Amino acid sequence: MKKLTKSLGSFVVPVLSIVLALLIGAIIMAVLGANPLVAMQYLAKGAFGNAANIGTTLTKATPLIFCGLCACFAYKCGVFNLGGEGQFIIGSVACYYVAYCSGIGGVPGILLSLLAGAVAGGIWGLIPGVLKITRGQNEMIITIMFNYVATLFMGVVYTNWLRDESVPQTLPVPDSVQLPRVIDGMRFTWAFVIAIVVGIVLYYFLFWTSGGFKLRAVGYNMTASRFNGFPIKRYILTSFIISGAIAGLGGGAELLGTQFRLINGFGAGYGFDGVSMALIGQLHPIATMIVSIFFAALRAGSTTMQAATGVPTSVSDIIQALVIVFSVAGMALVKLPEFEAFRLRYFRKKEKKEATEQ
Amino acid sequence: MTWITSLLLATVRMAVPLLFIALAELYSERAGMVNIGLEGLAAIGSLVGFLVCYITGSTWLGILCGALVGVVVNMIYAYATISLCADHIVYGMAINIFAPALASFIYRVYFGTGSDLKQIELMAGIGIPGLKNIPFFGDLLFNQTPMVYIAFLLVIVTCIFFNKTRAGLNYKAVGEHPQAAATLGIPVVRIKYLSCVLCGALSGIGGAYLTTCYSNTYSQGNVAGRGFIALAAVIFGRWTGGGVLLACLFFGFCDALQIRLQVGSFGVPYQFFQMIPYVATIVVLSVIGAKKGGPQANGKPYRREQR
Repeated sequence: MKKLTKSLGSFVVPVLSIVLALLIGAIIMAVLGANPLVAMQYLAKGAFGNAANIGTTLTKATPLIFCGLCACFAYKCGVFNLGGEGQFIIGSVACYYVAYCSGIGGVPGILLSLLAGAVAGGIWGLIPGVLKITRGQNEMIITIMFNYVATLFMGVVYTNWLRDESVPQTLPVPDSVQLPRVIDGMRFTWAFVIAIVVGIVLYYFLFWTSGGFKLRAVGYNMTASRFNGFPIKRYILTSFIISGAIAGLGGGAELLGTQFRLINGFGAGYGFDGVSMALIGQLHPIATMIVSIFFAALRAGSTTMQAATGVPTSVSDIIQALVIVFSVAGMALVKLPEFEAFRLRYFRKKEKKEATEQ
Repeated sequence: MTWITSLLLATVRMAVPLLFIALAELYSERAGMVNIGLEGLAAIGSLVGFLVCYITGSTWLGILCGALVGVVVNMIYAYATISLCADHIVYGMAINIFAPALASFIYRVYFGTGSDLKQIELMAGIGIPGLKNIPFFGDLLFNQTPMVYIAFLLVIVTCIFFNKTRAGLNYKAVGEHPQAAATLGIPVVRIKYLSCVLCGALSGIGGAYLTTCYSNTYSQGNVAGRGFIALAAVIFGRWTGGGVLLACLFFGFCDALQIRLQVGSFGVPYQFFQMIPYVATIVVLSVIGAKKGGPQANGKPYRREQR
């Protein structure tokens, strides 16, 4: 019974938060002078109205899924990796170098580039990991700083080293290494499929293997795991590397599937978006993927909504931010002893009532 | 000589926003509240400061409103972490996501998507008569905007408050051992809320400084990691007013150096210079290592009648 209500709570709270956030979003739309119902209709139409729109939604979901999984995996293992953005960017830079400069085309080229992205992301995650275990450093600040360094480094690449003549951006990667679309007429590419596969593998690893169990145990209670003889430092390092590699792979997939070139603003904001996805998804890989697709739909739909009703697209960002504000507070509320007492009292009363009625 | 003077002048100017935000975190952590939402608080503070100044033309009103909005947003954090016992780090992250989204939304709604640059008049510098004529130090310390003086005064006030007053010691006790503090009759929850008010106000001011005293426009992401550098400054400064001042001057120096070197260029891509403050933060944190410091009950939820 207790387990049931617990899992119910972790499902009900995010859903309620989303409903609340959408309500506030509707109020904002009304204040801006649009009919919220009409605006919401356009929102839904823009996200799922036809095959092309669904394709756009899934395309937008891909990087969110990768960064969400990166954050999700790290937090599950007790590591607060905020460096998803930097790892994503470094992954895409490495991927670009291999895709553009190696001259290998076709499937081997794609695989090699993606691998380069994952490795680079993993290394970018490894550095803060080493600093954490050797110097006991606060990984949050370090990973954030590495995000800025990565962004600036990408800036060097597209404004200097591989600049496309007068424009501050690189040339697109050759056609032969661009990820093909899964279905003709829909924009989403194999990058989305890779993201889903990574999510499922992570789910399997975390919840159905002993390695995953150990990593989760370290995340759940580091002291207990240490007394149990787990090599904590090695696990922490592993979590950093794997979560960095996921983000790096995401950067590569985004580059070969959607953007094709490095340009100002590439990957910006995905790090914190990933954190939102993971937290709203209750640090569960499958839930994180679903949440990512939902928010990608919100973003894809908001463009149509803006064109039709004039409500700015950033309403979708506000809604996303509100969901996280509500859901994190909601999860804390559910865990409070007062809430537990209230719930027990309420259910007891009900049971008593039923008993007396019989 | 002039190069060095202008470098030091820029150091002071760059250290001030960091100083406000770092003091915000100091007040917060001294009451046991780890707030990593500073970046977001500063972002919304900087937007509101800019907007109010743009509408009314008064920089002071802008800074005041920046502080107010910082407090309002931080109250969400305060309620969730103090009353609902949410995880400080996770909720700080939520604020980091929420506040900048709100800021860019307000900007978009108010100014539309037009690309013309909106500018405001920066706060004018006020020289302190007499003192400003001292060679070298005069320009550096006594010929700045009033916000610079306020920041340095705040450091002195902070040092006295935490070390010499009863109220300050009580305040620190809340961060060290809230249960023990409660048995002494210190209103723990009230002080924790107070710390969040101070933190919100100071980081709002730090953000507003960026638009009203430093750069005369607002752009998305103008806080540029200062919230997190301020967090590092508090650790580097060992949770004391004086230490935080030195740490902020150091990071401000890195920022100033970065800008000066960019102008010089030397044929190196300018982004490498821009990395200096961030790399410096990483290096500093790695060098000082994990010496345990700071309030004992930092980041731990407090519930009455619970051991």
